[in-house]
Amino acid sequence: MCNFFRNAVFALLAIYGGQAHAISSIRISVGQVSAPAGEIRNAAFQVDLKGESPSLKLNAELKPANEPQFMPFDLRCGTFWNPRIGVLECLNGMFSAKRIKVPLSAHFGIFPDDFSANIDFKQAGFSDEPGLHAGEKLTGSIRVAAKKQKDLWHWGGLFNWTEGELFWQPFYFGKAGNLFAISGTSQGPHVNIGQAILQVSDVGTMTASAQIDTQSKKAESVKVIARDVDFAGLYQLLLKPMVEKSAFGNLQVSGKADWQFEMKDMQPLNFELNLRDADIEELNGKFAFSNINAHIPWDYNEPQTLTLGYNSGYLLNLPLGTTQLQAEINRYSLTAPVLRLPILDGALKFEDVSAAYLGQKWYWHLQMQLEPITMNEFSQALGWPEMQGKIDGQVPMITYANGLLNMDGTMNFNAFKGNVGMSGLRIEDPLGTVPKLYANLHMRNIDLGDLTRTFNFGAIEGKLEGNVTDLRLENWKPVYMNAKIQTMDGNHLKKVSQRAVENITALGGEGTAAALQRTFLRFFKEFNYEKIGLSCELRQDICKMGGVESTPNGFIIVKGKGIPSVNVNGYTEYVSWADLLERMKRITETNSKMIVK
Amino acid sequence: MMKTIAATLSLQNIRFQHLVWTLLTMTLFVLANLAQAAANLEIDTPAITALKSSMQARHAQLLPHYNSGAVGLTANGLIEVRDTTAVPLKDRGGINSLVSAENTDRNALYKEIAKANGHPEWEGEVRQTFAGRWIDKAQGGWYYRSGSDWAKK
Repeated sequence: MCNFFRNAVFALLAIYGGQAHAISSIRISVGQVSAPAGEIRNAAFQVDLKGESPSLKLNAELKPANEPQFMPFDLRCGTFWNPRIGVLECLNGMFSAKRIKVPLSAHFGIFPDDFSANIDFKQAGFSDEPGLHAGEKLTGSIRVAAKKQKDLWHWGGLFNWTEGELFWQPFYFGKAGNLFAISGTSQGPHVNIGQAILQVSDVGTMTASAQIDTQSKKAESVKVIARDVDFAGLYQLLLKPMVEKSAFGNLQVSGKADWQFEMKDMQPLNFELNLRDADIEELNGKFAFSNINAHIPWDYNEPQTLTLGYNSGYLLNLPLGTTQLQAEINRYSLTAPVLRLPILDGALKFEDVSAAYLGQKWYWHLQMQLEPITMNEFSQALGWPEMQGKIDGQVPMITYANGLLNMDGTMNFNAFKGNVGMSGLRIEDPLGTVPKLYANLHMRNIDLGDLTRTFNFGAIEGKLEGNVTDLRLENWKPVYMNAKIQTMDGNHLKKVSQRAVENITALGGEGTAAALQRTFLRFFKEFNYEKIGLSCELRQDICKMGGVESTPNGFIIVKGKGIPSVNVNGYTEYVSWADLLERMKRITETNSKMIVK
Repeated sequence: MMKTIAATLSLQNIRFQHLVWTLLTMTLFVLANLAQAAANLEIDTPAITALKSSMQARHAQLLPHYNSGAVGLTANGLIEVRDTTAVPLKDRGGINSLVSAENTDRNALYKEIAKANGHPEWEGEVRQTFAGRWIDKAQGGWYYRSGSDWAKK
């Protein structure tokens, strides 16, 4: 049928070329033409010879090979002529169909074993039905040429545009100045793309080669190589659309990259991404890394070694120091005996790391060790009050599956000369909009002297212990807990300063009263105590307060002992958590003196 | 005469019974509605605050798509891509994930509001109330689902 089409065109050219001056118009109708690239039916050519120069009207229905339905189209050429046999020119033309409008001028050379087309288009627009392949205001040119030698067609094409934008799901070419050159051979259904070059403005040059079976419409093999391209452009154009829904879908990046990708029988075969002096910043502030140098290889058949290093960065507010990581990638899993992330003067060390990507979801488990970090810098980095001492700790096992992070065993941290343990830790959707954390906390032997100096609370000497059970945070804010903190029994020094008493009283809120004989006790700078304690049963925003003992009207927060001693009683049982936080903030930040009632 | 009084009394009795039933039914109806109205849609929790601010931040990206008719409001309190061709080419690749992220937040919001009210089973009612509110508050020219068709406000 394809030969028939070519013969029909030749017949037209022969009639038109030989007898153009003898007739005023020529009409040809063709029922149906099939070719590997698609089908044409109900074609009606009309060449009008009456005007100054001959013009063409062509109506037909076209069905490209990959479309399900025939699409009527209309081609008009203001000037249509053939300077010599086998050559056609369409000047001031317009190709239009549903959702397509292409003003063009075209030059065709049609010979039995030789075909060429040069098409210049201006301000062209097109779109498919769902709008997934579309171009707007495109100005550029297409050059196509094919030559048959024996049974093999050698062909080449060049597509470039200097204006306009193009969207080819999922890729968007926003800046003009792009060029796509392709050449290869065809024999029967087999198309061999020897070389395809895509030169993208602001990205760089990518080359590709591919073998395609036009019958099965499957690419037998595809290889894409991009060397020393702009990472920002590569991310925007090719990587972002592929990771749009992951944690890497909203990044600002810079640097240089090499990218290579190979597919065989529609399955990825290998992949390689090298980054040089790259910066990455997650735009919601979840993580950032600067000066990244990475070699990220992947091969379906062979295990590969990934190396990644960066100079600095942060992860969920944790400042990260210079880091070098190495891991093994084996098909869809990643393992590493140790990944060490330096944080200030210490480090977060992940051990026995194992991660797998299955069914488009990540699953991983690891052990974690926190090498001692000076609290002073650590607290400053997180915007907390300046703390003394060091923090270190161990996490026996963390697993992550289906958006849920689970910790087995107890995580222990050493701070304020004591120990803080966290158990039953579970975090739902840690990088999502509403991360939810569940945990139990206990603290033992916390040095109250260190703690109260750190939080500028007024001196208390003694040791503190406490439990927070069923802690639940939503978006890192507490919404549920049963918390109780109190001083520990023992022979150690138990003193509380007048300022601390005032602050504890202020913390207890309205109705809290220090049952001291102000008249003379206020002259003492500090008091002896038997026990100090506070409890809070938090339900959403309401905290049910308690102390070390209950009284008929409320609870005792500070129970004095000896001389001079002081008692502080609380009377307001239900307090808003926001109010409590506000009071805490006022006390520790402004260091204002509260009035003892 | 006696018969007439008896008949009147009996009639009044029937009327009285009817009145009692009507009042009872109305009371039950009002009570049922009060129970529904008891859902506090403005309730605030850290989760709800986070979801609302996430949605607020995304609204600037969605606004041009509501205005162009590319995205419309559905009857179940979500949004849907109505016409991809109305999305500028540069945003076209990201429109589906934008809509999907918004719907994830909206579904979570209805669930959290019902939960914060202490009635997780009210999620459906909360969703329906919000669906109506979104459509009521929609600007002129925006599209919303009316049955299986799209209607323009």
